[in-house]
Amino acid sequence: MNAVTSLPVMMPASAEIFLAIAGMVLLMIGVFRGESSLRFLSYATIATFAVAAILVVTQGGGGEAFYGLFVSEGFAQFAKILILIGSAFAVLLSRDYLVREQAGRFEFPILILFATLGMLMMVSANDLMSLYMSLELQSLSLYVMASIRRDTLKATEAGLKYFVLGALSSGMLLYGCSMIYGFAGTTSFTGLAAVFAAQTGVVPLGLVIGIVFLIAGLAFKVSAVPFHMWTPDVYEGAPTPVTALFAVAPKIAALALFVRAMMDPFADLIGSWQQVLVFVSIASMGLGALGALVQTNIKRLMAYSSIGHMGYLLVGIAAGNQAGVTGVMLYLATYIFMNVGTFAMILAMRRDGRLVEEIGDLAGLSKTHPMMALALMIFMFSMAGIPPLAGFFGKWYVFMAAVDAGLFGLAVIGILTSVIGAFYYLRIIKIMYFDEATQPLDDAVSQDLRVILYGSAVVTVLFVLFISPVYDAAKVAAISLVGA
Amino acid sequence: MSAIDPYILSGVIIVAQILAIVVPLLVAVAYLTYAERKVIGAIQLRKGPNVVGPFGLLQPFADGIKLLAKETILPAGANKLIFILAPMLTFILSLIAWAVIPFDDGMVLADINVGVLYLFAISSLGVYGVIMAGWASNSKYAFLGALRSAAQMVSYEVSLGFVIISVLLCVGSLNLSDIVMAQKTVWFAIPLFPMFVVFFISVLAETNRAPFDLPEGESELVAGYFVEYSSMSFALFFLGEYANMILMSAITAVLFLGGWLPPIDIAPLNWIPGPIWFFLKIAFVLFFFLWVRATMPRYRYDQLMRLGWKVFLPLSLFWVVLTAGVLVTFGLVPA
Amino acid sequence: MIQALAFYLFAAVTVASGVMVISSRNPVHSVLFLILAFFNAAALFVLLGAEFLAMILIVVYVGAVAVLFLFVVMMLDINFVELRQGFARYLPIGAAIGLVLLAEIFLAVGAWTVIPVTADSSITPIPPMNEVTNTHALGALIYTHYVYLFQTAGLILLVAMIGAIVLTLRSRSDVKRQSVDEQNARRPEDVVEVVKVGRGGGV
Repeated sequence: MNAVTSLPVMMPASAEIFLAIAGMVLLMIGVFRGESSLRFLSYATIATFAVAAILVVTQGGGGEAFYGLFVSEGFAQFAKILILIGSAFAVLLSRDYLVREQAGRFEFPILILFATLGMLMMVSANDLMSLYMSLELQSLSLYVMASIRRDTLKATEAGLKYFVLGALSSGMLLYGCSMIYGFAGTTSFTGLAAVFAAQTGVVPLGLVIGIVFLIAGLAFKVSAVPFHMWTPDVYEGAPTPVTALFAVAPKIAALALFVRAMMDPFADLIGSWQQVLVFVSIASMGLGALGALVQTNIKRLMAYSSIGHMGYLLVGIAAGNQAGVTGVMLYLATYIFMNVGTFAMILAMRRDGRLVEEIGDLAGLSKTHPMMALALMIFMFSMAGIPPLAGFFGKWYVFMAAVDAGLFGLAVIGILTSVIGAFYYLRIIKIMYFDEATQPLDDAVSQDLRVILYGSAVVTVLFVLFISPVYDAAKVAAISLVGA
Repeated sequence: MSAIDPYILSGVIIVAQILAIVVPLLVAVAYLTYAERKVIGAIQLRKGPNVVGPFGLLQPFADGIKLLAKETILPAGANKLIFILAPMLTFILSLIAWAVIPFDDGMVLADINVGVLYLFAISSLGVYGVIMAGWASNSKYAFLGALRSAAQMVSYEVSLGFVIISVLLCVGSLNLSDIVMAQKTVWFAIPLFPMFVVFFISVLAETNRAPFDLPEGESELVAGYFVEYSSMSFALFFLGEYANMILMSAITAVLFLGGWLPPIDIAPLNWIPGPIWFFLKIAFVLFFFLWVRATMPRYRYDQLMRLGWKVFLPLSLFWVVLTAGVLVTFGLVPA
Repeated sequence: MIQALAFYLFAAVTVASGVMVISSRNPVHSVLFLILAFFNAAALFVLLGAEFLAMILIVVYVGAVAVLFLFVVMMLDINFVELRQGFARYLPIGAAIGLVLLAEIFLAVGAWTVIPVTADSSITPIPPMNEVTNTHALGALIYTHYVYLFQTAGLILLVAMIGAIVLTLRSRSDVKRQSVDEQNARRPEDVVEVVKVGRGGGV
């Protein structure tokens, strides 16, 4: 056996390599400087994300790296930029919270950094093995972050639930992967695609079972029904900035991974997985809309809302065409700002210095904090998919793709559930504008939160002006993955 | 019938080989206890055993017969099965490791490719005898001793592993005979001297010997994990512990002192057969065990953990990197 | 023949001890049966010629992981009778899921057709086992072709370590700690005073 002596191709992974090294350096700084370095580490982490984003953009055409285990192309670049934005917002949102709640631990931004690294690697996974490893890197960091406030019962419960169910889903994912490997004899996505392209006749049953298990594992990570059970509890129990992270960046990464897994290796087996995704998508849209109706805690409401959003996004994957992928990417771009803004609002909900998270606490917000009420109204309308706002466009393109693919039923159900969903978004607006305040919320809202809140509201409103460049970018990304 | 014959024949040969290793080993264990008492006696200006037989040479047998003749006591609250299983396990583990030890070129029971890993695996199992005994005895002292011992053995195993890796880097094989042959020019104790020291001290901790004999610290835990044992079950622990010492000395000799090789490959020295050299080296290392026991006070528990995790682990990790770096830089990497 | 006998022996003991792990009443016995199962799995690896994996299985799982299990089980006084109370209630659903998974395995194996493109390449190990020891073969693969996965595994372990420290380490201020440097820096002249005591005077 002749030894390989040359170094592998690494340039397409420069952003990931940079993040990994920066993470370790920052960890060392934190270890030696102690808790007082939290502020520095938070900003350093954001700066690291910025550098990583530059590296992602400048890596040119990308290509395969590390002997085909890693791949980067327009699709990966687009998703990575979105993830980096989402994670950077999560760091910003957490800083004020950590200081105020005296939960300041310097490991917090570093865990976000490693989770983000895992997410970027997920997006670029080009092999069942790198898929699994990157997923674990991301999940493990998130398990720890869910229970980082280890002295509160709810946070530990959330962390434990997330961990146990996450381990179960990893098990299913691995079971599926091993079955796929058993039939195809390769784990590489490129290899799998070649094998399935050459495959003729009936798809072996074991392979279908393997794919279903893989989908089940991925569906767990994006919290799609029927693997959504953990979501409301974890969203409610985890510290709010962590929930804000959970709601955005990991979802983008998992969806991008989902898109790649379905469109790249299993593209030729669409007949085997399309029905599964249609079912999961309908169930998520339905449960997201109906489950949210009865919630009183705003974090639980956001959990059901995100389940619903995942349902809409899965419509785009189920369509299985380039338009669908474009729709998913565009949807994700709008999804970040609506969610980050809403969570900034939730973090600003304090009464007598303590965080409150009941929907009823928003009563009369329009009188005490008119600007914040307006911003939240914009996010709610956008999430409901009211036309000129950002959220509308994502849904529009996703449903159009479903219609293109001939999934009329799916598109109709999607529209019906978004009508039902609009009800609970409007309920929040009604509470803010028409209910009497029992006791007003605190006035003091930190500068960070204000900037994020109003900034994302402006983006959500003005998104309509940028729709064509974003759409073009999403389309280029989609084409780089699935072809024109 | 004839199809089974070769199996029977090879089975008989294997049993004979096993006996050829185990019987001398048990005699060696018996005389190690004698040597220990004599050496410590000499260091403390006493005579040591000198009554039973000439120079007290029959003392170990007298002790053995005494233990055999005593009653085996099973404590009422003990978990009977595990209580009996634990000493057996300890004793068996100290014997089966000898299967891969090479006594001379080709003189080895099982010449497997992963000999070092096999030894490492067996030595990492030693902890089970201790924890099982401690738990099954249903006694505070025994349990505390067992916990101490388990934590200690697991901790020192880490640095032990890294030391072994730095040796393996210089050899390029996990086979013990290859490791010995790689020391033809120079014993690894010389270029890897710091690792040799770390290895020896870790071995002391691994075998629960002084100054790391906290698991059986008589002043606080009476006798630690085997406080409830008596007669033959106690004897098995005792035999196991001493057989382990001999085993660890043998491993030290193989990894660092050139196994069966003479110190210098010249005329009068290489007339002496390999097994004799090997035996002398084992005896040399064993003397250190006894010497240390007679001269060192016992460590405190936090000091023990500190030494393992904060001193040995970084040091051995650094040395692995250094060894690899030197080997690569000077093109010495074994093929 | 001996090989086949050995296989059935080890496989049977593995399965039997696996059953005992979940059925034995005493949790310590469960862990000990788990260890037995690990051993037999290692023996099966040896029969396959995967000696390196066999030894690593013992070193890692038996030598380290199971020791921790045993530790936890022995130290925590878990009332397993209480834990088992829901057992009968959840048995039907658990059994149903188990049966479904079992049925799927049968279906998958029953319909086993390795896709012809790769069928021939996956049968013989590369490189052949009698030319290269499997330690060498694994090393030559892990540190070159799979270096990406190797490094990722390292990062996962780092995160696990950070997690363990974040979630459990409490720095207690009421504990006296030994400072070795300080002790070594102490000199007799700083701390010892030689006093000449006069007769009947006292110090």
